[in-house]
Amino acid sequence: MSFIQVNSLSKHFKIFKREAGLKGALQSFFNRQYENIYAVKDCSLSIEKGEIIGILGENGAGKTTLIKMMVGLLHPSSGSISIDGHNPWERKNIFLKNISIVMGQKNQLWWDIPASESFLLNKSIYNIPDIEFKNRLDELVDMLDVKDKLNIQVRRLSLGERMKMEIIASLLHSPKIVFLDEPTLGLDIISQSKIRDFIKYHNQEHLTTFIITSHYIKDIQELCKRVYVINKGKSLYDGDFDNLIKKINPKSKLIFQFNNPPKEHVLKTIKNKYDIKVNDLQITGELSEDKIKLLLIDLLKIDYSKNFKIDELPVEEAMRSFFTNPDLFLNE
Amino acid sequence: MSDWIKKYYSVLKMSWIQTLEYRANAIVGAFAILSGLLIEYLLLSKVFSDEISSNSPIQNFDSFNHLIVYIMLCMMVGQLKSSWHNSMMMIDEIRSGDLNRYLIKPISYFSYNFMNFIGHNSLFYIVYFIMMSLIPIIIGPGYIFNGVFQIIGFLVTLIISVFLSYSMYFCMICFSFWFGEVRALIISYNVFNIFLSGQLIPISLFPDGLKQFVMNSPFRYMIDFPVSIATSDYFNYQYFIDGVLVQILWCIIIYLIGRIIYIFGIQQYEAFGA
Repeated sequence: MSFIQVNSLSKHFKIFKREAGLKGALQSFFNRQYENIYAVKDCSLSIEKGEIIGILGENGAGKTTLIKMMVGLLHPSSGSISIDGHNPWERKNIFLKNISIVMGQKNQLWWDIPASESFLLNKSIYNIPDIEFKNRLDELVDMLDVKDKLNIQVRRLSLGERMKMEIIASLLHSPKIVFLDEPTLGLDIISQSKIRDFIKYHNQEHLTTFIITSHYIKDIQELCKRVYVINKGKSLYDGDFDNLIKKINPKSKLIFQFNNPPKEHVLKTIKNKYDIKVNDLQITGELSEDKIKLLLIDLLKIDYSKNFKIDELPVEEAMRSFFTNPDLFLNE
Repeated sequence: MSDWIKKYYSVLKMSWIQTLEYRANAIVGAFAILSGLLIEYLLLSKVFSDEISSNSPIQNFDSFNHLIVYIMLCMMVGQLKSSWHNSMMMIDEIRSGDLNRYLIKPISYFSYNFMNFIGHNSLFYIVYFIMMSLIPIIIGPGYIFNGVFQIIGFLVTLIISVFLSYSMYFCMICFSFWFGEVRALIISYNVFNIFLSGQLIPISLFPDGLKQFVMNSPFRYMIDFPVSIATSDYFNYQYFIDGVLVQILWCIIIYLIGRIIYIFGIQQYEAFGA
């Protein structure tokens, strides 16, 4: 059995719907209409120790619900989960001591007092020995560069500083598994990058398993080799992130600059053969990898220019088109 | 065991730190009861003006002073167990999903908030104990703490009643798992509790039927029982032991009811918010 094993997991919620306005509120007060909606439907997944896996999906896809069931916050409607041999919703202390979760939109620290006090509280809750606590705190504080912020009230910290403190609080007890739900939400580029570097370092040093959800593709690109894609509660893809991108977006972009203007008939032949755009001395083409290679060979035969580059199309764009019509890509 | 104590003592310490963070609120809160005590004194002195002038007994209170000491003590003890702040916080946590932060930690939500509840009220404990010790000086000796056993008995029954009161609040708070908003329930309970626990009128002055009900309910053991020990002329061991046993029994019953509601409630919990 894998370190984390999720089998046929489903979760539905009973929600009530009402029309907007006072009339709707009154109608709903006397006669409430309920509806069952599936947040997660028949999802299976296995994760090995030390892996960093990204859970991807649009808003409302079911990512957070899946994570909440994995940490034992929500009882699944059906299916099973085993995390390091434990059933999460039994919420046994031995299980809780080995996991941690950081939610980008939820504050776990005491708002009115400095983060250092919350760290001390965590020390007692997780029963961390004095020396271990000190060493660990020093390491985390140095890595995330927040030493001078430790004794400032949490509510006075910036969003980035607060997120760093949240991450420190979640790692003090050296959990085996860390769930990060939108850890870089609302942070500036430098803070995002620092947190990503820190996660990578921590994973390599301590073999901690990270399960990450993020809307920033850069987080996923840099951190996760493997992704689990979920859409409308259902599993869409589980595997290598680069392969997924290649599957979604097999095209690359070639920009080629001629040294000298090519002959008209030669250029016409090329234009007939490939779907390209010509702008003065520059040729641009968005084609499959194989066709890009052939085009480049043809162009170099005409003009041995060293002034060209091949780019992959932006991943964000690729993911956007994937979520718009996932079946189109996965059924190929 | 020592780890358990250390864990929950840390929570208590944190709530002390938080209470002291807002100085003005802490000071005003600690002395807020003074206006209530004054109003109650003025009201009762008007109601029993004849008994005051003739210095005659009021029901089973041998004088007006005895009655007013009982009422004042009831109000102070009632305030020590008020869980308005904590209840509102816990209801919000369940409704908004902030409960998540406790559920992912190896800590009991009941015990964690019990420590918070004590921590938040600790400042009141200090101020009110000073006020209680001033009663013999202001009103005169013989009305309160007439012996060491009365003081010990009062403290023991007060500690148990704090737990009992918190357990009652916890039961009601857990209904948030189903209904989301249960502030109205807490408000209704507080109003009933002020009346039924004898903070407005001593239980001995209640009509017989109501008195019978209160004497056989947990309400009696929250305020009236500790106060009756503190204001007794002599310490009745049998009364104390019997009362404490019933008090503990009520604690177990209410705690278990709260536990059952919590276990079923947590399965309904939707952990809102990302």
